[in-house]
Amino acid sequence: MSLDSFRSSSSSGSGSGSGSGSKRTSSFSNATNKTKTKTKKKKTLGVAWGSNALPPSDFSGYMALKNRKLHDQFHAQSSSSTSTSTSGKPIFTGVSIFVDGFTVPSSQELRGYMFKYGGRFENYFSRHRVTHIICSNLPHTKLKNLRAFSAGLPLVKPTWILDSVAANRLLPWLPYQLHQLANNQPTLSAFFSFKTSKLSDMEDSTTNVCQSQDRHSSKVNGLISTVSNDTIPENENTNAFMLEDSTNLVRVKYDEGSTAATQEKTNVQDELEPNHQEPSTSVSSPCSDDQNVKEFQSSAATRLSKQGHSTLTDPNFVENYFKSSRLHFIGTWRNRYRKRFPMPSAGLNKEISNNSSDVSRNSVIIHVDMDCFFVSVVIRSQPELFDKPVAVCHSNNSKGTSEISSANYPARSYGIKAGMFVRDAKALCPDLVIFPYNFEAYEEVADQFYTILHRHCNKVQAVSCDEAFLDVTHSEVKDPELLASSIREEICKTTRCTASAGIAGNMLMARIATRTAKPNGQYHITPERVDDYLCQLPIDSLPGVGHVLQEKLKKQNVHTCGQLRTISKALLQKDYGMKTGEMLWNYSRGIDSRAVGVFQESKSIGADVNWGVRFNDVKDCDRFLIDLCKEVSLRLQCCGVQGRTFSLKIKKRRKDAVEPAKFMGCGDCENLSHSITIPLATDNVEVLQRIVKQLFGCFYIDVKEIRGIGLQVSRFESAETSKQEKYSLKSWVASGNASMQKQKYPMDQDKQNMDGTSSGECRGGSSVKIQNNQANANPISTPPPLCHLDVEVIRNLPPEVFSELNEIYGGKLIDYIAKGKGTSETSSSLQNLFLEQETAIDKEEELLNLEPIPQRKLLSEIEAMQHGAEQGDAVSGSGCGPIFKVTHSSSFEKDDLLPSSLSQIDGSVLRQLPEDLKAVIVQQLPAHRTQEICSNGAMVPPSENHHVSLSIKTSENPGSSYSVLDDSLWTGNPPKWVEKFKVSSCLLLKIFAEIYSKSGLSSTLSSVLHQIISEFHQLNLAHQISDETVNIISELLKQYIKVRIGRDIEEIYICFRLLKRFAAKSQLFLQVYNSVFPYLQAAVDDNYGGSLFIAS
Amino acid sequence: MERRENQTPQGQTAQVLVEFLEVAITAVVFLKGVYPSGAFERRRYMNLVVQRACHPQLRYYIHATVSGLLPFLQKGIVERVAVIFFNSGNVPLEKFVFKLAMNQSYGSAVEEVDLESSLRSFLIKLSISESLTKELPPDCRWEITAYFRSLPETGTNKEADLWIPTDTKQWQQPPLITPIKSMSCEPLCLQLYLEHPCLPESTI
Repeated sequence: MSLDSFRSSSSSGSGSGSGSGSKRTSSFSNATNKTKTKTKKKKTLGVAWGSNALPPSDFSGYMALKNRKLHDQFHAQSSSSTSTSTSGKPIFTGVSIFVDGFTVPSSQELRGYMFKYGGRFENYFSRHRVTHIICSNLPHTKLKNLRAFSAGLPLVKPTWILDSVAANRLLPWLPYQLHQLANNQPTLSAFFSFKTSKLSDMEDSTTNVCQSQDRHSSKVNGLISTVSNDTIPENENTNAFMLEDSTNLVRVKYDEGSTAATQEKTNVQDELEPNHQEPSTSVSSPCSDDQNVKEFQSSAATRLSKQGHSTLTDPNFVENYFKSSRLHFIGTWRNRYRKRFPMPSAGLNKEISNNSSDVSRNSVIIHVDMDCFFVSVVIRSQPELFDKPVAVCHSNNSKGTSEISSANYPARSYGIKAGMFVRDAKALCPDLVIFPYNFEAYEEVADQFYTILHRHCNKVQAVSCDEAFLDVTHSEVKDPELLASSIREEICKTTRCTASAGIAGNMLMARIATRTAKPNGQYHITPERVDDYLCQLPIDSLPGVGHVLQEKLKKQNVHTCGQLRTISKALLQKDYGMKTGEMLWNYSRGIDSRAVGVFQESKSIGADVNWGVRFNDVKDCDRFLIDLCKEVSLRLQCCGVQGRTFSLKIKKRRKDAVEPAKFMGCGDCENLSHSITIPLATDNVEVLQRIVKQLFGCFYIDVKEIRGIGLQVSRFESAETSKQEKYSLKSWVASGNASMQKQKYPMDQDKQNMDGTSSGECRGGSSVKIQNNQANANPISTPPPLCHLDVEVIRNLPPEVFSELNEIYGGKLIDYIAKGKGTSETSSSLQNLFLEQETAIDKEEELLNLEPIPQRKLLSEIEAMQHGAEQGDAVSGSGCGPIFKVTHSSSFEKDDLLPSSLSQIDGSVLRQLPEDLKAVIVQQLPAHRTQEICSNGAMVPPSENHHVSLSIKTSENPGSSYSVLDDSLWTGNPPKWVEKFKVSSCLLLKIFAEIYSKSGLSSTLSSVLHQIISEFHQLNLAHQISDETVNIISELLKQYIKVRIGRDIEEIYICFRLLKRFAAKSQLFLQVYNSVFPYLQAAVDDNYGGSLFIAS
Repeated sequence: MERRENQTPQGQTAQVLVEFLEVAITAVVFLKGVYPSGAFERRRYMNLVVQRACHPQLRYYIHATVSGLLPFLQKGIVERVAVIFFNSGNVPLEKFVFKLAMNQSYGSAVEEVDLESSLRSFLIKLSISESLTKELPPDCRWEITAYFRSLPETGTNKEADLWIPTDTKQWQQPPLITPIKSMSCEPLCLQLYLEHPCLPESTI
């Protein structure tokens, strides 16, 4: 080492001498330098240091010297070239390159460019100085150990420099990333995100072509493998085609794509584009490849973004994934359908409820199923393909591992099945023509299909986009076969695709009949023929009998339904479980009691991505999860439901799993899942993201191992709530004035309640004074229109404003005020009060129009009142703070009008509140608050107390006497003291309670004390020492000790250390501390046989 | 970490607890610096860096004592496990007490994840609680003592026989207690605290 350094430094010494002395030309200097170094390495062995060079102590010192010298040279040269005015604009400022290996142009030329255009050139690699590594080829070892070699710096092709120089600006290096890297990874490059500038396109057209070819192939591959998730398609078994000019279709869409500004469309376009060409057979494949390339190039200009096909390369992966997924199409089709045909299904439900009893009696069911829907729709416009084997698939790459999703009957005769790899299919049938999906066409045909069905029959149950049951029992057409054939004929005419129909007495038999009817036929199983037909039927034809069940049955030597019938129901239920057993027994006898028209509500909504999922780091994964949440949230919103249970499923690569056969597939995976249930149903994307993040955190998984992620939402809120949910915040805000009034009304309810209470109290004779605390009422001018209708205020309004309000209320305001006055001033009777409650509620209903009035009228008066109060409460808690204060002769303030738990809040009201207000309410209300103790319970006569409880939600336990020294302060969740303290007059106690309920359900006293520190200063000033407060806090602590000492001495310890700290500053806490400390020590001694040592 | 399926939640917890105690006691010994730090090697337990004694005898002592506790832990008769440090005169100076309470009537499955994360917090807290402890004199010794709720019958288990009745010297006055960590995770409730003699000069 020392010898080595000695040797080469001698050369550098001489080099520096010559370098500083003479000005060399740029292209020459380094080369000579190098050759010199090399030659001298041999010659100057053992030569002494140059006299002017300080000998560096070791190799690193030498290298530092050398590098500095090289920089000096470089600067000298670049400044000299600047002076000779050959230099250009300093486009490479901040760029420092290191050239690795052989490049075209050579490293010397590159060096020349660099100092001509203000960049830097490093002779020796340094991770700190170098910003880009330039190379055109990398040896295998370096590729394998890429990070060690490149230190994470970009590896860029030399053309980047050339192009940048030609463009006279610094081009993004990403498109010039080294090819090998891209190819080396299964996911193809990061070309997508940057538009290659036109200039560079022209400059470097060859590279571009090759790049675009790459991109294209990647795309095709991607498209192919997207099918991977698709399970075996259900409903695509038929031949016969209806045809249309597909090229036209393509063109039209293409134009759309190029003109439409929306990126979305273009994305879809991008996705499908490569497949829009003429279908290619394997014979013509080379030619069609050329075509591909050409088309790709021609369309390149219209593309806004290039996408890759994994989560790694495509920023919009999730979106695009679902856009090109057939399963997704089928899955979401249902919503489309429901939106399109909402009326028939609604009418249907009524009918079903009327005559559900005679469903199975003499009914006639037709099952209509399109014949190989996915194929026939695509080729309906190309009659010449009618009898050729055709399949639908994401790609026609004959070597692809993409799966066939649907094949027509000629293709099936070759043995081609759905789920087969394209390459296998092509091997079976070289002439197979492959088409891509055409989702728009599918939608169009499905819509036509259902329009026809609904025209012929009012009882339609959609099974899928191409399959439906019709109940034609009460149809005008007497002969079901005639009806079926006319339906089929019409379908054929309209859609140019054929359909088959099965007719039978129930859904099961109709479906089985369709199987016989296919393709393009119809079959009627009359009740007499059911038995004969079923006897011969193999068991796997029964719906619900899959592989597993079939295997099990075969072991029992059951192959046909006839054989199945010989087994008793009890035995079947014993062997296969109650439900399956009964199903088998029924089905083998052709019994099916399901009624047509029941549109099953889905139990869960979610999205799964199991293809193309590859992450490099957590960031990728987070981004993906966010996208997934967006997708799921959209789906929830589409279905108009909100869910409470969220489960995240992750497919994790098995340790020994190899890269899957299918490109970007998930391969052999472990399935992991975590789920969480939240108290309040949501479809909010942000909430979802938070939940998902939390769930994902539970996995402790290396993101590189993840091969698939799915998010499912279930436990939907009831239909009623989801209906109300349509009154979104937006509409609420938009309706301006009127909605303001809506909000006001609940407040009035509130007020009414309070007034009623007070009047009752007055009657009771106790001296209670009512104040409408106007100071606490929010000024009307506050942005959120959450102010209440105060009778006083309204009375004092300017007449024009009042009349306007009155107009909004339809003239009821005057009456209302008069009445309100009446109640508050005179002691009204109980009935009177109720009447008013009702009228107020009625008014509210008219305005809110949330629920039908008759339904509401059925509610008991009390319920109605409660509802009103709830709404009022919910609103009152929404940030206005206490609105009405009822001051009793005792010092307790009754300001807590919040309902005692979230569950009591009217969801619809809550949902309509602005987000921040909502958050405040949710924060203020624990999910299950314990009952509030009525501090004034003893003072108010029982009958009146009932009213009070209506307004504050403590209808039970009306007369319970309140005692400060209750010995169960810590029972319940949240503990009782929280409620007590909330209504206390002492600020400190209130803060205690507030912090506790804010910090969540399971919080400890120590955490409360911790948080109090922050407010301590202010507290210290505000509160006054009263013996009562000291007593209350001491009692609280003592009971806390009692509860906790046995199991959690640490918590007690923390509390008392904090207390001791407080005690040093606050007289009150000192008193508390002193009064509790003996108790504490006694308790510790009892439990631990020692005394607690509390260091200050 | 493999456990038999048919275990009761108590048995299962006891198993985890024994492992944990072994690690925790080693951590205490390491913390107190009774042996040079070179006598320990770094290991991973519950995804934490913990120490393990290199010396086979030391390792065996801790391992054997603790695993000898297993049958008693399962029965729930162990009340406390203490690591006691004595000075040369055999006067206890400091005790690290693990106070156990096992809910014998708890019937549902043990959430091992919860249990582990709770136990992990012990180890974390323990590793930073040196300031709570007191400096030991140079020539001290230590031992593991368990306090049983009742005298166990002579078991058949060989390892359990390692436990012999003893009467440790008690302090004249009740000790000062400094809690380190408490946890409660059904069916186990575990607390760790320090006991120091209540002498006038012992105030820090």
